Amino acid sequence: MALSRIRNFSIVAHIDHGKSTLADRLLALTGAMDPKKAVDQVLDSMDLERERGITIKQHTVRLPYRAQDGQEYTLNLIDTPGHVDFSYEVSRSLAACEGALLIVDAAQGVEAQTLANFYLALEANLAIIPVINKIDLPQADVEGTRRQIAEVLGLDPGEALLISAKLGTGVPEVLEAIVHRIPPPPGDPAGPLKALVFDSFYDPYQGVVVYVRIFEGRVRAGMPALLMSNGRVYEVQQVGVFTPEMKPVEELAAGQVGYLTAGIKRVADAKVGETISDANRPTARAFPGYRDAKPMVFAGLYPVEDTAYQSLRDALDKLRLNDSALTFEPETSLALGYGFRCGFLGLLHMEIVQERLEREFGLALIVTSPSVRYRVITTAGETVEIENPSKLPPTGQIDHIEEPFVRSSVFAPTEFMNPIYRLAQDKRGEHRSLEYLGKRVHITFDFPLSEIIVDFYDRLKSISKGYASFDYDFLEFRPSDMVKLDILLNGDPVDALSVIVHRDKAYEKGKTLAEKLRAVIPRQMFEVAIQAAIGSRVIARETVKAIRKNVTAKCYGGDITRKRKLLEKQKEGKKRMKQLGKVEVPQEAFLSVLKS
Amino acid sequence: MTLAWSPSRRAPLGVYLHIPFCRQRCAYCSFNTGPYRPAAMDRFLSALLEEIDLVGEAVWAGDVAIGTVFFGGGTPSLLDPIELETILDRLRKRFALDPGAEVTVECNPESLTRAKAEGYRLAGVNRLSLGVQSLDDDLLGRLGRLHSSGDARKAFEAARSAGVDNVSLDLMYGLPGQDVARWESTVREVLAWRPEHLSAYALTLDEGSRWAGEGVAGLPDEETVTAQYWALARLAREAGYEHYEISNYARRGFTSRHNQVYWRAEEYLAFGPGACGFLGDVRYGNVKPVERYCTMLEAGRLPLGTHEVLTPAQRKAEKVILGLRLSDGVPLAWLEDARSLVETWASLGLLQVAGDRCRLTEAGFLLSDSLFVHLL
Repeated sequence: MALSRIRNFSIVAHIDHGKSTLADRLLALTGAMDPKKAVDQVLDSMDLERERGITIKQHTVRLPYRAQDGQEYTLNLIDTPGHVDFSYEVSRSLAACEGALLIVDAAQGVEAQTLANFYLALEANLAIIPVINKIDLPQADVEGTRRQIAEVLGLDPGEALLISAKLGTGVPEVLEAIVHRIPPPPGDPAGPLKALVFDSFYDPYQGVVVYVRIFEGRVRAGMPALLMSNGRVYEVQQVGVFTPEMKPVEELAAGQVGYLTAGIKRVADAKVGETISDANRPTARAFPGYRDAKPMVFAGLYPVEDTAYQSLRDALDKLRLNDSALTFEPETSLALGYGFRCGFLGLLHMEIVQERLEREFGLALIVTSPSVRYRVITTAGETVEIENPSKLPPTGQIDHIEEPFVRSSVFAPTEFMNPIYRLAQDKRGEHRSLEYLGKRVHITFDFPLSEIIVDFYDRLKSISKGYASFDYDFLEFRPSDMVKLDILLNGDPVDALSVIVHRDKAYEKGKTLAEKLRAVIPRQMFEVAIQAAIGSRVIARETVKAIRKNVTAKCYGGDITRKRKLLEKQKEGKKRMKQLGKVEVPQEAFLSVLKS
Repeated sequence: MTLAWSPSRRAPLGVYLHIPFCRQRCAYCSFNTGPYRPAAMDRFLSALLEEIDLVGEAVWAGDVAIGTVFFGGGTPSLLDPIELETILDRLRKRFALDPGAEVTVECNPESLTRAKAEGYRLAGVNRLSLGVQSLDDDLLGRLGRLHSSGDARKAFEAARSAGVDNVSLDLMYGLPGQDVARWESTVREVLAWRPEHLSAYALTLDEGSRWAGEGVAGLPDEETVTAQYWALARLAREAGYEHYEISNYARRGFTSRHNQVYWRAEEYLAFGPGACGFLGDVRYGNVKPVERYCTMLEAGRLPLGTHEVLTPAQRKAEKVILGLRLSDGVPLAWLEDARSLVETWASLGLLQVAGDRCRLTEAGFLLSDSLFVHLL
């Protein structure tokens, strides 16, 4: 197919603005999917994605389209994740495109991720087509949304398409706009192969399936594929496209998007940003590497049963085949034994990894309270990076501690400004700018990352009745007055429950933590004392009283089965308990630290 | 068609018969029982005899001795002595009922007269279990019992004068509005009657009971219920009763043989709706609705509802868990895999190791579920 008939594009949007619905419409309209067989939102194929209504791993699909000019076009839709944790993955997809549909919800207007995605698309030099969605809603404000597109994004509001992805209204015009407004891909099919890896996943039968965008030349089975960053050569076994199922094709040529397999064993061997070329005729210039995914949030993952350590390692290895943003290294905890310190893009990423480990690998896990990476400058003048609060050097050796700050954008209706400023103050936010956009405001703050990784977003949503949106980017490390808060159970410190907090918040945090732990630690055969301490100074104390009795009713009429089942049910609950010394602590205890 | 399972050994079996009727349902009761109607009782009795016949067709039936028989309910004392005798006769006809078998009938005080007790004794009953529950008339009313404390006393005397020399009394504590003093006075008085056996259960709100459904006010706190347990343990000990099972006390030589069949994980047959049996490695239960139970038997079918084949591990766990309910405890060797647990519990005074046996202390009885969960 001639390059002039190919269009490579992405859809970007704030969460819930209708990206997946539009993608489904495009699939149905171009016949890439039989509408009768349509499962809602086919592109979100991971169970977890569907349950949470978000896209985590991107997917790619080829849409055959006969345009109104009578010509056949191939439209390659590269789907992108829609959550703030995954903006890095969005950038990878965008680099493989020439254009993007920027969806804005007509009832919500421009939101924080609209803006963030817009910038990513600009950076990637994409042709941007603004699309105003949900025009069928009674509360749709098309004119207001147009104004925001002009004022906030600086785009020509006259170019915005008006659609209802849900009803299909205006969707044919979207296809036409893709053809006419997005440039065809450049590139010479006769040149030396130059292909960009923009994602990959691990398939147990075929090894790593690499998503590629071909920029020059062509690739077919049997070719020796050269990975330019490490010089390794693999024989290409299969090339194909996504229809959305994987469908082998003869070859992929410049301008096209598809996949290849080459017996690559680990995702890490064909990293995102890698350039694939022909070992017999290598391209002169590789792509500059993408920026690596940088974990921002760290937590310890421990098996509830010590014997499951190896299984956990294997499971993490497997997940990493598919998730290049996940990092992990072994660590030990006095309380929890052997486990791993894992790095995540954000809290959602962490929850997803945890759920997949539990669901897909059947592991019972304890996740310690998440931490950001702190920079400790010692009295000896050295700089140490700390991702685990229990690794903090003794106070005497610390000159000062620096913590990561982010610059963030909040969009919200003006009436919620006051509570938002109060929340920001509570979270040690520093106000940077305020911009009025009609009835809405765009506020920027600098926040310590540690303050926003846990419950910030939930609280922001709740104080703004769901109307505020939020996005952030790493800014810099700044000195902060941080202290380590320890939790002791019956006098023994539980390293896995330690947290690093700002001194001004330590007392309150210690009190909340102790209270939460009292609520989740079940009563045991003996009294359990819970203490929160900074150094040797106890700042809060709670007690879980001992159980006095638990004799259940008579084993009536020999119904032993019923009795056994009741006990089995209780035992099921115990499975999620971790023995710390003599104290049984449920997994929720570690979670409660996380959520407080 | 008879039972597909057979006993694993030639030891005597227990027999449980369920009489699923009551004149009135008690507020705390979740058992399988419905309102008493003479016609329903007649139909049920025919079905019960049919069930004994069907199970009695098993090839082993005539050879295996029956060591204990227990009529539970419901209210078995709604049976008149003739009806009870018919049932026992049918058991004797089909099975090798041991002449020395312990035969117990649960009785409600209001339905036990001297004549009835005597009739039961002549039919072959040698043990009565009397549902006294409390000697506090206030509480008896709230519980939905039909008898007063005076009726309970009269029923006990009726049993005695009818020549029944093995009487057990059922009591309940942890009742709404019951403080430690009220409980102690019930216990003292009952002990003064010198029954051979005493069962005392702390109230639990089980699913299916009225109180579990509607809720109930005035339940004593855990401290009170614990104090009630200890008060009973102390008073019973002072009166010469052995605390031989978590909830059971007996004078020397009068422990319940039938209940020990359960606690020693021995085998037993079950008759009546919802009754549960244990043969070989199978625990089974009959269908619960009386109507369905009767219809099935009228069609010549056994009224089996559920069964489960125990794995060797489940059997072993059951033996330990049930055995530890008894003050005898279990051989220490059975707890080989739970050494550290045994040590922890011993250090907390909840468990004792003596020679090659391991037993719960009275403090351990009180927390036994916490231990059992670990032993599953």
